[in-house]
Amino acid sequence: MLRVDAIQSVLDRVNDEPIIANLGGATFHLHNLSEGRDANLYTWGAMGLSSSIGLGVALSAPDRKVIVMDGDGSLLMNLGSLGTIARQDPKNLIHIVWDNHQWAGTGGQPTHTAGVTDLATVAKGAGIPKVEAVSTLEGLEEAFDRAMTEDGPWCIVADVEGGDKPNRPEVSLEDNLQRFRKTFAP
Amino acid sequence: MAWSDQIIQGLKDADISLIAYVPDGITWRILGKMEDDPFFHMIPCSREEEAIGIISGAYTAGKRGTVFMQSSGFGNCVNALATLNIPSRIPFPMFIGMRGGPGEFNMAQIPGARAIPGILDSLGLQYFSLTREDELDQIIKGGIALCYAGRLPVANLLSTLLTGGRDA
Repeated sequence: MLRVDAIQSVLDRVNDEPIIANLGGATFHLHNLSEGRDANLYTWGAMGLSSSIGLGVALSAPDRKVIVMDGDGSLLMNLGSLGTIARQDPKNLIHIVWDNHQWAGTGGQPTHTAGVTDLATVAKGAGIPKVEAVSTLEGLEEAFDRAMTEDGPWCIVADVEGGDKPNRPEVSLEDNLQRFRKTFAP
Repeated sequence: MAWSDQIIQGLKDADISLIAYVPDGITWRILGKMEDDPFFHMIPCSREEEAIGIISGAYTAGKRGTVFMQSSGFGNCVNALATLNIPSRIPFPMFIGMRGGPGEFNMAQIPGARAIPGILDSLGLQYFSLTREDELDQIIKGGIALCYAGRLPVANLLSTLLTGGRDA
């Protein structure tokens, strides 16, 4: 499964739900596929924190499904967030991890998920009630459709191919933040 | 009003209800009261940087929150402040229970605490040292107003002169 196809598939299944993207490939692909979508929040730093940012959004907007597009390298930096999410138990949070088993942005060095660490098992152990590990586009779509209709919190660990090189877009962080915030205006 | 109650009232007056924290003995004198107050939504975290991520996410969705930590945990926050809050202009007030000052018994608590003002200066973030109950109300309310007007984090350093330190 290519990460770009997986992100497009998620975009095909949402309306105006907020999506928080991890730095690097997730942000680049999401922006390139859906430029102008105000409910996208991109991160350019804060490595590891997209799951935490998503938890803050989910707790603040409990009536909307909130989607996080994380990466394996980033989640490995903030595994504690899985326990915090489980403890807070936000029914509306859908945490997707694009697991390409590498630190892609720094040259493709293998992460711990390249043969050793299983993030879906880690998520289960942290207490996340709905965990799915998927490796095909069909599997992802089936899990995501359930996540959009069933209570979570969800963690979907999606095995994706490495090696893609999305174009790096130009984004004003302040503009992005202000446009994203307006989607929550009463 | 006790210093802990003044801080609680200042947060309520500013409609700051999400409280993300890593506990310590000093700030627990505030947090423990908040745990019993339904106004507040308490979010215990595994690490200080995580708390900043959560409160930043809440701000992006239009809610206000704050972060409580011990001075030893501030070092865990620098990347979040530098690469998320400052470039994206995401404000939040934070409260840091200071160790390493008068009365400190643990030498491992001293270097990190002493570095905090210098780190905040280097980042261009404003901070206030809270030492006296009679000026607390003004600093808390003023600092919160400043934080959201400037759209940058503001730090409140809870001095041992105010709190009496960990074993008070």
